[in-house]
Amino acid sequence: MSDDTFMGVPREKIPWYPTIDYSKCDFCMECDKFCPHQVFARREGEVKLVVANPTNCVVFCRACAKTCGPDALSFPGKPQTIELIKQLRAEGGDG
Amino acid sequence: MAERFAVLPCNGLDKAVGPLAREIALAVVEACQGELICPVLFNNLPERYAKAVELPLIVIDGCGTRCATKLAGEHGLKTARKLQIAEALKLMGESSGESLTPDAQRLALCRLLAERLLSAPEEGTAAESEAAFAEPVEYATVTHDKFIFRIPMKGYLFDENHCWAHIAGNRARVGIADYMQQELGDLTFCELPQIGAEVEQFGEIGSVESVKAVSDIISPVSGRVVAVNAAVVEAPELINEDPYVRGWVAELEFGELESDRALLLDGEAYLALVRQKAADYRP
Repeated sequence: MSDDTFMGVPREKIPWYPTIDYSKCDFCMECDKFCPHQVFARREGEVKLVVANPTNCVVFCRACAKTCGPDALSFPGKPQTIELIKQLRAEGGDG
Repeated sequence: MAERFAVLPCNGLDKAVGPLAREIALAVVEACQGELICPVLFNNLPERYAKAVELPLIVIDGCGTRCATKLAGEHGLKTARKLQIAEALKLMGESSGESLTPDAQRLALCRLLAERLLSAPEEGTAAESEAAFAEPVEYATVTHDKFIFRIPMKGYLFDENHCWAHIAGNRARVGIADYMQQELGDLTFCELPQIGAEVEQFGEIGSVESVKAVSDIISPVSGRVVAVNAAVVEAPELINEDPYVRGWVAELEFGELESDRALLLDGEAYLALVRQKAADYRP
């Protein structure tokens, strides 16, 4: 088991990471201050925050969204993600 | 006579949730003859509320910024019950809207949320099954610097989000692993699921909160909630002290344990995961 797999599936195949709604985000940086996995990164210019390391995001963790006052962070659906992981595991088993 | 509470609400007067926090706080205080704490004055002159903070505390956060929770934490106050309005409304399929003046519908929601805050927590049926979970637990340990992480080797299944399920008969107790409680630090609040709720595998079954962060508790197994551990609401530090036994959160009658198991780790496999995580652990 390594950092690069989750439930036996390569992490990069699981599309679980936050999406920033820039129409709501006020760049308070609470999510970035909170996240211990460097998923976010700060930038100069108008867009001051980006999702820089999506595969660092812990699958099923949505904790950053709970720090977000303006509710600007969203995640994929959990049941769909579980279904996808199951599918990928099955495919991995065949290969 | 209903129990009296002190209420520390969000003061977000420039946002739609702020006036809702105010309405809920007023409704709670009126119903229980409690004490209202102004967060602004409390921040400046906490001694003005010396009497009020002797009562059990209800914290009302407006949004995810959790100012009221953080304020309570900074002053070392223990939270008896709490509400995060934006989240609670979302769960009800509602929203705070944009207006700073709540309409009739939102005022009604405020009254409902106030009632919920005051209604007594449900009693579980854990007592009967207590014995089944009372077997002594043997731990393996992973040491990193001054940190020691314990992992029970038998009877427990884990997910990769550091939550565990302790299996006995047709039931499972669920909680958070030692690694996660240390990562979060001293817990200030634990939210339990409703008894009777159906939970999917990897569904949320509550949350724990420290001054540092809020984290969902992810259920490793699917099933129906049959009991909750009221003790961890009274004393969330139980989870810090004894995360695998006295710090259990909810008890489920499980649904599909055999198919759930395929996606879970046993003690041995989880030990390997913690070893690898501990190597680059930075609290």
